[in-house]
Amino acid sequence: MKTTLPVAGDVRWSYAVNAWKPGFMGFARREEHERAFKTTAASGFGAIELKAGSGRWEPLGRPDNIAASYGSVAGFAAVLGSWGIAKVSSLFYDPGQMSFEDLHFGLDSLNPADEERILEAARPLARCVAELGGSCLVVRPVGSFGKVGALSAEQLARVGRCWGRVGAAIREYGVVVALHFDALSAARTAEDYEAVLAALDPALGGLALDTAELTIAGHDVVALYRRLHARVVHFHFKDALDRDTLGEYRAPNAERELVQAGGSRRVARWFSEMGTPRGLVDFPALAASIREHGYRGWIVVESDGGPAPIAAGVMSNGWYAARVLAPLITGQVP
Amino acid sequence: MQGTASGGGEGARPAAPRALRYAYMDHWRVDTAQGPLSQYTSVERFDAFLRQIAAVGFEAIETFDFHLGVMRELFGSLPECRAFMQSRGIERVLSLFHAVMYDERQSAPHVPATHDRMFGYAKHIMESSQGLGVENFIVMPAGLYFDVEPVTDAKIRACADLWSRIGRMTLDFGVRTCCHHEFFCAIRSAEELRKFYEWSDPRYVFFYCDTAQHTIAGVDPVALYSQLHDRCGGFHLKDTHDIDRSGDYRRRPDAEIMAPTTPRWFWEMGTPGGLVDFPALYAAMKRHGYRGWVGVEHDKADVGGGNYPESTAVAAWYIQNVLDRIYA
Repeated sequence: MKTTLPVAGDVRWSYAVNAWKPGFMGFARREEHERAFKTTAASGFGAIELKAGSGRWEPLGRPDNIAASYGSVAGFAAVLGSWGIAKVSSLFYDPGQMSFEDLHFGLDSLNPADEERILEAARPLARCVAELGGSCLVVRPVGSFGKVGALSAEQLARVGRCWGRVGAAIREYGVVVALHFDALSAARTAEDYEAVLAALDPALGGLALDTAELTIAGHDVVALYRRLHARVVHFHFKDALDRDTLGEYRAPNAERELVQAGGSRRVARWFSEMGTPRGLVDFPALAASIREHGYRGWIVVESDGGPAPIAAGVMSNGWYAARVLAPLITGQVP
Repeated sequence: MQGTASGGGEGARPAAPRALRYAYMDHWRVDTAQGPLSQYTSVERFDAFLRQIAAVGFEAIETFDFHLGVMRELFGSLPECRAFMQSRGIERVLSLFHAVMYDERQSAPHVPATHDRMFGYAKHIMESSQGLGVENFIVMPAGLYFDVEPVTDAKIRACADLWSRIGRMTLDFGVRTCCHHEFFCAIRSAEELRKFYEWSDPRYVFFYCDTAQHTIAGVDPVALYSQLHDRCGGFHLKDTHDIDRSGDYRRRPDAEIMAPTTPRWFWEMGTPGGLVDFPALYAAMKRHGYRGWVGVEHDKADVGGGNYPESTAVAAWYIQNVLDRIYA
């Protein structure tokens, strides 16, 4: 299989599918998958990260949906392979999203009554990831600040314990849980993240560091990685073009008003492909730090929220990852 | 063809001598807040274009000669433009497509009275394009079919004479004159093509094989390449889903975009319904020992809602996963 960025070894590269399916109804047909994944493969990425979803228009969102469209998970793997995608690195799961199949409007890791249902939802997703060659279940560990408010020490620990239970349940598949704190998360600070991680056995999981989300949230992600590097098990690489300077993550509808509508400042675009003059993330410094700390795991590049055509972002990121970042990480700078 | 150079590690492919290298024939458009625009509207957009095509394995571009001015404006000089391109992994502007306003009053290959002016313009392009590494000067060797018909032997001979004269001159600049036959060009049928290449000087006039254009015109590009392989200066690989069976090529005012039968003539390689037998072409290229650059083109990729980056990546995938296995 011809790919130029490694999908095995210490640092492995993957690409998230989320940009290709911005809405509920798109990206449901097989020929759309084929063009997207051929584009991904031609751009140098031999692995993808899936996103959990619900309903018949999410053919890649659940293993039973995958089977409905591709015969079986193994059948999907074979088709992906024929398109140049050797592995599914990981799968993103937000328990707060509604599920037609599991008959709920969102689960909450802060609610002990939901813990068992989260665990039961995560188990088949992790099994699916393992069957597709991956090793991470990336999760939204807790809801938005605007929905659940500031977290107490006990709540932070509860979040960690919940995902620890999930991690223990999916360990048998060789899959770890990766906690993906985003720009709206109720967990805001490095201390918050540390408090959650303290309640999660490092053998069962750790942190998914999303460069853009955490930059928007006000973090210096290079400094954050240096502080938390021992617990980072997964990366999402995308650039941020602005920060939430007014603290609008507090709004109860920040998912729409801030992220999608740009907030009171009407920010036109939060996320960007890497390597542009306007990006706020210092990717070369982060790559050097990754090398320094000997990170082992996946780096999933994202065009999350990027404008059409999606292929342009994938190709730009392929250039930057292969020609700038991978040499810095391996130390093989030409 | 392979994607952009690896940083190493498992999955990386070692460099190996290759017979074929790939150039991208540029019809690109960028979606911007100001609407769809050329990538030549800013250094940043041009940079993104270069990165995107380099990412999927292209090492050169081909473009129109009317872009020479904007290249100078963006970078100060053509050598500086080329240096910028090379910093992104694009080695050269392999080919310039000669954009001539064909008109019997001043520039029409079948009208000998216009030849001196056409020769002078071509020489001006040669003199003013130094510094980009250009190897090919691509021309449509005759005017639009409906402007030339009836296509007589005398008219074909006039075209052959002009391009033989210009081709001799461009070789003095190290550039080959390559003839590229649009399906609506006056030299399009097998017989017209045979006469043109028989009457033009093989030392100075080269054949540029556009796979879709010949297919639309009802000429098998694989057979044509095999006939003219010793004069082949390069390729534009693109596909089509349609053969012109109703004479669109001679329908005014335009066949390429305005034909009532066919909204979109050109497709990237690797789409369902494609008519060009690319594996057979590659087998022929291997058999004849073709070495050098191969151009990939998909003009009008945005007709019907498509976009250039995705079409380019899909075509690159087809090369990497299908054609490379036949001949690389």
